[in-house]
This record gives sequence, C-alpha cells and structure tokens, in this order.
Amino acid sequence: MDIAMAARRKGKRRKKEQAEYFFDYSLLFIVLFLLGFGLIMVYSASYYEAFSDYGDTTYYLTRQLAANILGLVAMIVVANIPYHFWERFAVLGYAVSVVLILLVMTPLGIEAGGARRWIGLPGIPFNLQPAEVAKLCMILFLSSLVCKMGKGVRTMKGFLIMVAVPMPIVVLVKEVTDNLSSAIIILGIALLMVFVASPDYKKFIIMGVIGVAAVAAILVIIINADTVEGFRSARILAWLDPESDALDKGFQPLQALYAIGSGGIWGKGLGRSIQKLNFLPEAQNDMIFSIICEELGLFGAIAIMLMFILLLWRMMIIANNALDLFGALLVVGVMGHIAIQVILNIAVVTSTVPNTGISLPFISYGGSSVMFLLIEIGLVLSVARRIQLKT
Amino acid sequence: MLTNNNQIAHRKKILVVFFACVALLVFLFARLVYLMVWRAEYYAAKATELHERERGIKAARGRILDRNGVVLADNRTVCTISVIHNQIQDPEEVIRVLCQELELSEDYVRTRVEKYTSMERIKSNVDKETGDRIREYDLAGVKVDEDYKRYYPYGELGSKVLGFTGGDNQGIIGLEVRYEKYLQGTAGTILTVTDAKGIEVDEEGERRIEPVAGNDLYTSIDYNIQAYATQLALQACAAKEAEGVSIIVMNPQNGEIYAMVNVPEFDLNNPYDLPEGTDENIGSEERQNILNGVWRNGCINDTYEPGSTFKIITAAAGLEEGVVTPQDSFSCPGFIVVDDRRIRCHKVAGHGGETFVQATMNSCNPVFITVGLRLGVDNYYKYFEGFGLKEKTGIDLPGEAGTIMHKKEDMGNVELATVSFGQSFQITPIQLLTTASSIINGGRRITPHFGVKAVDENGEVVEEFSYEVKEGIVSQETSATMREMLEMVVAEGGGINGKVEGFRVGGKTATSQTLPRGSGRYIASFVGFAPADDPQVIAIAIVNNPQGVYYGGQVAAPIVRQLFENILPYLGIMGYNQE
Repeated sequence: MDIAMAARRKGKRRKKEQAEYFFDYSLLFIVLFLLGFGLIMVYSASYYEAFSDYGDTTYYLTRQLAANILGLVAMIVVANIPYHFWERFAVLGYAVSVVLILLVMTPLGIEAGGARRWIGLPGIPFNLQPAEVAKLCMILFLSSLVCKMGKGVRTMKGFLIMVAVPMPIVVLVKEVTDNLSSAIIILGIALLMVFVASPDYKKFIIMGVIGVAAVAAILVIIINADTVEGFRSARILAWLDPESDALDKGFQPLQALYAIGSGGIWGKGLGRSIQKLNFLPEAQNDMIFSIICEELGLFGAIAIMLMFILLLWRMMIIANNALDLFGALLVVGVMGHIAIQVILNIAVVTSTVPNTGISLPFISYGGSSVMFLLIEIGLVLSVARRIQLKT
Repeated sequence: MLTNNNQIAHRKKILVVFFACVALLVFLFARLVYLMVWRAEYYAAKATELHERERGIKAARGRILDRNGVVLADNRTVCTISVIHNQIQDPEEVIRVLCQELELSEDYVRTRVEKYTSMERIKSNVDKETGDRIREYDLAGVKVDEDYKRYYPYGELGSKVLGFTGGDNQGIIGLEVRYEKYLQGTAGTILTVTDAKGIEVDEEGERRIEPVAGNDLYTSIDYNIQAYATQLALQACAAKEAEGVSIIVMNPQNGEIYAMVNVPEFDLNNPYDLPEGTDENIGSEERQNILNGVWRNGCINDTYEPGSTFKIITAAAGLEEGVVTPQDSFSCPGFIVVDDRRIRCHKVAGHGGETFVQATMNSCNPVFITVGLRLGVDNYYKYFEGFGLKEKTGIDLPGEAGTIMHKKEDMGNVELATVSFGQSFQITPIQLLTTASSIINGGRRITPHFGVKAVDENGEVVEEFSYEVKEGIVSQETSATMREMLEMVVAEGGGINGKVEGFRVGGKTATSQTLPRGSGRYIASFVGFAPADDPQVIAIAIVNNPQGVYYGGQVAAPIVRQLFENILPYLGIMGYNQE
C-alpha cells in the first residue's frame, strides 16, 4: 500500500510538473519584451508633444503603462482559466459585440480625432473601442462554430456559413464606427480561420484571385477618374504619389517617409527623432514604427520585425500542438490578428499600401488595443498549458 | 477530438499562414532597405530642409576708399527687428514696446505680430542703441539681429559718384552699384533646427555658415581734391546763382579721375530726403522723379552742346589732316556764309586778319568753320569717330549717356559748320574731357575711371582693374602743337582767367547757349590742363545757367584757376619757377 501510495503521489507530482513545464515562457518573454520596448518608444515619440499639449512629458507613458499592467493582470487570469470555459460565451460574445458597436451611436459614444469609435462610462478612466472587443469575440465565435459544425466544414454550405457569419460585424464596424481598418482586420482574421478550418485550397485561391482583381480594378478606376470624390480615394491617390499632395492627404505618409529615410542604417539614436517634434501626426500611435526607424535605423526595424516573426512562430507551434481544434483555432485567430496588424501597419508606414489607421501591436499607444491583445495572449497561453508532452 | 488526417491538414494550413506572413514581412523588410539605404539621402535631405529654419547673416559690405586710403563709404552696425509668431507669449506687450521704440503705427506692428509666419521682419536699419534697448526688454519671440548699414562719413561728398545702398545693402546708384559684385560679399546663414511649430530645439544647436565680407574698393578719387572742388563749385554756384556746377578733375595720362563734383549734391546718409522746399504731399511717382533728378550725375548722365571747347577737336583734326597749320592766316569779317546761311562770329565786328593760333586764342567761329569745311564731311566724320566721340567713354559708372550726333548722310555744309565750333550736337562732359585728354596726351585715347583695385578684408589685392587705351588717335606732333596753342589761349587769349601764376596751363573756354536758342540760358565752361608741356592734370568746370555774366572765360575759367592754384602744389607738380 505504501508503495502504491508513493507511486500515485509520484504520478501526481509528474502531472503537476508537466503542467508548469508547458507554460510557454518564450512567448511570454517575447510579449514582455515588446511591451517594454513599446513603452520606451511611446515615451520617446510622445514626450515632446505631451509636454507641449499637457505640460507633462509622461502623459502618454503613464496611461500606456497603466493599460499594460491591467492587460497583464487580465492575461494572467485568462491564462489560468481552461480555455474551454469560454466556449459557452461564444454566442453571447457575438451579441455583445453587436450591442457595443451600436452603443457608439448612443450618447455613450465618444468622438476623438474626427471619428466616433469609442464608448465610455462616466467615472471610468478608460474608453472602450468596441472594434477591439469584436475582434476577440470573432475569434472565439468562429472557433466554437467550426468545432460545432464538425465535418460540416468540408461542405460548400459549411464554407458559406463560415464566411457569412462574420460579415454583419464587419459591416457594422465599417459603417457604424466608420473604421475601415478594423473591419479589414476582422474580415482578415475570419478568412484566415476559415482557411485553416476548411481542408481545401481551391476556393481560397479563387477568392485570392478575385480579391486581387477587384483591388486592381478599383485602383484603375480611381486613377483614371477625372475628379476624386471622397476621403479614401484621395488617400489612395496620395499613396500613389505622396509628394503631389504633400500638404493634405499625402502629408502623413510623406512625413513618415521622411522619418524612415532620415534614419538610415544606424538611426539617429534613441530619443533623437526630429520628426516626432510635431511634424509627424500620430507619432506615438499608428506611425510609431517610422519613429523606431528614424531613431534606431534599419537595425532597430529588423530587430522588431524579427521579434514579431518569433512571436508568430511560437503561436504556430502552439496551434500545431494544441490539444484540440478549438484551441488550435483560437491560437490561429490570435496569430492572424497580430500578423495582419503588424504587416498592415508596416505597409502603411512605408507607403506600401494606402494610408489607413492601424496600430502596431504591443508598441503603439492605445489602451483598448493593448489590453485586448494581452487577453488574446492569455488565451494562447491557456491553450499552450494543455499541450501534452509526448515522449 | 481531431482525427489524425485532419490534424495534418490543419497543421499544413497553419504552416502556410505562418510562411505567408513571414514572406510579407520579408517583402516589407526589402521595402525598408530600399527606403533607408537607397533613398536615405534623399529623404534625410528633405527632412533637414523641413526641420531647419534659416536666418541670414548679412556680410559686411566692402568699403570704398580714396586713392590715399581715406574711407568714403563705411559700415555701421545697425539692428534688424523681427518677430517669431510662435514664440510670442505676450503679443500686446510686444506690440506696445515695438510701437514705442521703433516709432511705428500700431496697425503696422499689429498686422506683422499677428501674421502667422515663421518669422516676420518689423524694421531694419534700426540704430544699435535702439536695438540694444529692445533686447533689454527680453520679450519672448522678438529677435534683434545685428547687421551692417552703409555709412558715408562725408555726407554729401561725391554723392553722385559714390552712390548709396538700399535696405538690403545693395547698391542703388553710382560706384556702389557698378562694383556691387566686389563690394557685396557673401551672406552667411544660421540654420537652427525647429519643431513643426517653428520653436527652436536647443539641444540640436545651430549650424552657422559664416558670411564673407565684401572687398574694399580703392578708387582714384582724392578726398582733398574732391572736397576742395566741391567747395569751389558751391561758391561758384552761389555767386552766379547757377542751377548747378560740375567739376571733373582727371589725370589725362591714364584716365584716373581725382574728383567729380556735381553741385548740388545730396546727402548719401539720407538719400531719400527731398530737396528743401519741395511739397511733401506729392505722389510717389512724382517723388521718385524728383529723386531721380537729385541723384543724376550730370557729368555722365546728361549731354550738352559743348560749344567752343569743342574747337580743340576741330583744330586737332585739321592739323592732323594737314588742312591747316598754326601759321596759316585767316580773315574774319564777323561772319561767314556757308551755302545760303550767314553764320556770325561772337565778335560782331570781326577779328580781322589772324593766324590759326590767334584764331584759337580768339575762339573765332568763322576760322574754325573754314577749317571744318576744308576737312569736309567725310574727313570730319572720320576724325569724330576716330577720336572715339561716337562711342561711350566706358567710364565705370552706370548710365553713361551716348553722343547725339547728325547722321553722316544727313550732314551738309551747314551742319558741318556748326559742329566745327561745337554746336548742333551733344556729348557728355566726361566725353569732352576724355577726348581733350587724348589729344593733349600724345594721342592716346584713355578710359576715364574711378576703380583702381579691389582688396579683401585681409588686405590682399583681389583684382587690379585695367582699362583700355587706344593709341595713335592723333600724332605726337599734332598733340604737341595742340598743347602749345591751348597754352597760348590761357596765356594771352580768351582763357586768360585760367592762368595760374608760376605754372604753364593750357585750356579752352566755351559759352554755349542752351536749346531753344534765345532762351537766355547759357552754359559756361572751361577745360584746363597743367603743366601745358606735360599734362598731369586736366579739369573741366561747367556752370549751368549762370545769372549775370555768362561767358566761360569769366565764369568757368576762374574756378579752374583756383582749383589749380591749390591742387598743383598738392599733387607735387612743379611750376616753371621751381624747376
């Protein structure tokens, strides 16, 4: 009996050890590094403007730090809850997203920078961007949907359902909060998850071809149009030739190019950016990558890009080793979210694609964004903890 | 639970997603390399251009000095007051102080202070004391920059020759504009890094491109001669109630001008002041016309009928061509008939029988008409052109007037006759003096000039100016004969008032009636040179519209005599008693 007891105890201990062992410290450290680096860059990019606007050089830094701490707490909590716990909230999350987006139109909605994208409650220091909630809920909802459909995902009907389900949210985000970039991100996350969930490639290749053709057609129409109507067409023209419209729509992309170009290979040194001195709008926010380029040069830029590639790689490993499809899809969703934002942000900053407001995950200033990203990382860590060691 | 097959399919797809992301990031990295390596210089230059504010530093303008190093045009430190819109903290206080200190209207200052520009100039050429006072207020956003302003120590001296400079220290008239490229120097700049609102970023410091001072211009002017000539001209002008008196003193051997006086002169330190008694309420166009008249240098900008002084040219042409010799005898009945015209001599009774020398001493018109007619239109025109009278002298001052002369094909005997004694055409005083110099100096047509050399701030000579000399316009013999004849004019003839005790002086008087004839307006003039046998200095005095006695011999010759009495010893020219 003693022996049996000991063996049982031993077995328990091993199980416990395994669980701790599988906490993905590499992923955690990458995220912590990005957060720390982000704080440094937010401070560097914002102190000048913060001082001239608020008389406090740490105005943006302290807010971002608070959001980071809150986010980390949320991440730890989420990481310690088995992820299947959330499956039951999938439909509710979808509904909550819709409600929150619609709330933007009520008096609770808050306008900033010419767009009404936030909701706030009196007495709460942080404003909430419903689009961020919608991204998280979309990942949860689609993962759960795919699991429920089982073999249904292989059918055409299943595919159509998967594609159709995210559309209401995408349209609401685009139309109600007038936030094209978030709509694109949500659509992108959804398509990536559907791509991973459904077993074939043909549909996606066709979709890709149609998408590229549509984009090309829109571009041709805009370039050949005699008069340009509207906000986005002008942005696209400004993208094609930023210097032709240097004072208006081309201003921000051109200022970003000045920052990037003047950084050169080694950069001007941390804190020595000139473009952040009110020249470059949103220097601590969507355009922070150009300040990184200006201050730290090509080497700083490649270091950050490598960190993101490492982050994606860790998530790919977790997704591939996840205990079940639900976990794998959750991780794929988060991975897609981060990948799309990183790629689009750098593409915008380098004028590779037309200017649209997309923040750089973990680094750009923005409370909602970083908190929800950390919750997503919490989910990923939670999936990682369930991975069984195979011998 | 996942089936094994499905798991493999999902893994493959996740791998595809990951590598697609990596591929896109690599593409973006390539784009970054392009931007930050290939395009880095372009964007860095653009960014620097955007970040740097430029402030000019004026270069000290070169001085203008006389032949002995007396400074005729100098620089004085003055201040430029500007405001930087974004740095102003208390606009009302700034407006109040600037209005009070600079004596400007509030509206003027207010529009400039409230204008949204990076930097707005309020006033330049402010006294250093005023600038220092404004600086002591220590007002945020007000910049006091020191720079240089032209200063003329002798005020009116040589005003129409030296010229003056404008608000940006650029030459406006005279030598100041002619030698602009030597005098102006190269402006420097202060480049300061600013933020987007124009506020200077202190820790970035500033880049300075130092200005290079302009070169000093050494001129042939002699301050003492210029000053004395000015004094004589003023006296004569007052005594004869004349409209103006011009005096040019030149070295006939090389064309260096010692003095050029045009009374009334104007104050170079206040060139925009209107002459006394002018109505202050005139329009700006009229005001500018008056000022242009005030600034006009009559010696080179205006032409006149030279009258009898031009007989020097007729005589030289006649002698050179051999149509007349000094001993040829003539008879003057008081007039001469040319074609159908009867042209009178100034002595109505006639000079009677006289040699060519005596005719020159008498300034006898019929004799010179005869000489002109003997030459004929073709020959006369040949000498007129040969002496360089149809071209400009090439003096180094702007705005030299050209000769107004009959066309050769329009010239008949009557025209030839009038030209022979200096009427019916117009030349500038400097043209007459230059041509006379060329005839008496042995036949070398010299270029009258002021500029001698340009010297940089370290005293190194940057450039010595050289001027064209055309040899052989008359022979040495003709030149010698002319010197003798003109000496006789002063010694015993019409130019006797130009005689200087102890010196051999040659010369010729003229009294020309200005157009239209019969207006009673005359120009009295005298050209004199010394020593007559080896001319070292030549001078012309022109009295414009003298009242009372108007003859050149009475009005102009004494001016040159007084001038020579003083400057010949000063120039070290020995009289015949001293040799």
